[in-house]
Amino acid sequence: MSRVSRESVEDALFRAGYWLLFAVIMLPIVVVFVTSFQQGEYLTFPPSEYSLRWYGEFFASEEWLSAVVDSATIGIGASVLATVLGVTGSLAVQRSDSVLTRVLPPIILLPLLLPPVVIGLTLLIYVNRIGLTSAYLNIVVAHTLWATPLVFFVMQSVFARFDWDLRDAGMDLGGRPSRVFYHVVLPNVRSGVVISAVIAFIVSLQEFIMALFLKSYYVKTVPVLAWTSLESSLTPMVSVVSAFLVLASIVGVLVAAAVMNMEWLAKQL
Amino acid sequence: MATESMFAWLGRRIKSQDTGSVMLVAPLAAFELLFFVVPFLILVRMSLNESAQAGPYESGLTLDAYRSVLDSGLYHDLVFFSFKLGVIATTIAVLLALFYSYAAYRATGFRKSLLLFSIILPLLTTLVVKTYAWRPLLAPNGVLNDVLMGIGLTSSPIQFAPGMFGTVVGQVYIVFPYAVLAIYSVLSTMDWDTVEAARDLGASRPRSFLEVVVPEALPGIAVATVVSFAWSVGAYAAPSQLGSGQQTTFAMEIENLMLTAFDWPAGAAFSLLMLGGMLVVSLAIMRLFTGSIGGVQDV
Repeated sequence: MSRVSRESVEDALFRAGYWLLFAVIMLPIVVVFVTSFQQGEYLTFPPSEYSLRWYGEFFASEEWLSAVVDSATIGIGASVLATVLGVTGSLAVQRSDSVLTRVLPPIILLPLLLPPVVIGLTLLIYVNRIGLTSAYLNIVVAHTLWATPLVFFVMQSVFARFDWDLRDAGMDLGGRPSRVFYHVVLPNVRSGVVISAVIAFIVSLQEFIMALFLKSYYVKTVPVLAWTSLESSLTPMVSVVSAFLVLASIVGVLVAAAVMNMEWLAKQL
Repeated sequence: MATESMFAWLGRRIKSQDTGSVMLVAPLAAFELLFFVVPFLILVRMSLNESAQAGPYESGLTLDAYRSVLDSGLYHDLVFFSFKLGVIATTIAVLLALFYSYAAYRATGFRKSLLLFSIILPLLTTLVVKTYAWRPLLAPNGVLNDVLMGIGLTSSPIQFAPGMFGTVVGQVYIVFPYAVLAIYSVLSTMDWDTVEAARDLGASRPRSFLEVVVPEALPGIAVATVVSFAWSVGAYAAPSQLGSGQQTTFAMEIENLMLTAFDWPAGAAFSLLMLGGMLVVSLAIMRLFTGSIGGVQDV
């Protein structure tokens, strides 16, 4: 066989291979959206009849709506806390070479490498021993442990592109450090901060294992409620709430990709 | 004299820019100390307490919890299965990720964005979705069986899930995006000209991939392997949604010990033993990779 025809066969196989993988990756997401419009009681794919029945039941359910409020509250809390900690910490590490700023990055990365079950159990024991009883605060803390390293490393790459001479010029002109940060540094890194906050919010919104350990009778996030409902039965209601969760992620990814671009985002996560 | 120079030193420190950095890093350092480092010390302390009939534990100083975990035949099986799932899921996920990240690296324009989007979206989607959505696809009356019977490959339905097949599919699906991004971030810095050069010298495409691309990507493959392995050994969502009950992992038993059986010393001891085992295996994997990177450079 000539080299050219062999290469075109290889090309076709290569392309077929990754489009097949692409299809398999997107399949569960498709299942979620399609089955959310199912009419029947027990989840099947593809559904035999379609309706908005389960969306109606979702908006009529106090339990689910209160979970949405809990998820949003915790997500905003974790996003604000992780963004503040991650941005200030990253700024410090950029500008200083002390022992603390050298040991910190590996420590903040560690929670991402441990099984979430282990972090959940560790925090459950801890908050019980020191008497922290607010499930909201406990889950915010758990999610911040996960979101902070993401914010931190996104900001590391954003600050690395910032021209620090601009800041030094501001300082030489007699600006206080806080003013210089606000007027000179922040406008240049604003999009990085926004993306960090969006990613932190989405990570918190989607996480459920740590939230499962730290939930209370009154405070349950949407993924936790979805998970516990799966233990009794597989109804299209799970698809309705999942569709909302996936939609939130799609919006977040598109916003982040529009501000920077998809490739930059892929390298940060 | 000595105090004077100390004050002078302090004065110099305060004037230098470093002080600002210390104040900036203080909140993050305090948070990590208070909610990560100290909780792990408390976890170690908890593992030395005694199990109690009423309540989650009784204060004490004993190695009983470790002994009960190490002596339990059931736990040996759980640990063996967790590591087995870790090895299988990691192998499949890293091989597929190597292929997919190479495809994303070679693609351009909209196609590249689409491939990367298909990685970032599942990454930022809840584990609940990533596991339960496979159930209607892999069930005995599910889509995969319909297709296989439709094209005549099988005559009767196969139970892909609940079972080992479903558990592996679910777990690979969970760690795959992380593995792709780890490899992609390394590949994206690779100069395509080196691959072209190898091909110009007569190397076939598969050969240039194995001998030029894979060695370049090795640091990314190492990270992908360690991350996939750590998460697959600690798998919880995939085996509970897609397993049959025979696919019980250590993480599922931890959840049971902490939230149902209320035996916190055993849960703490079991976690610490597993973390130790995972650390040893992860270091061994890293060593294996750095060894082979060194070997490649020698050639």
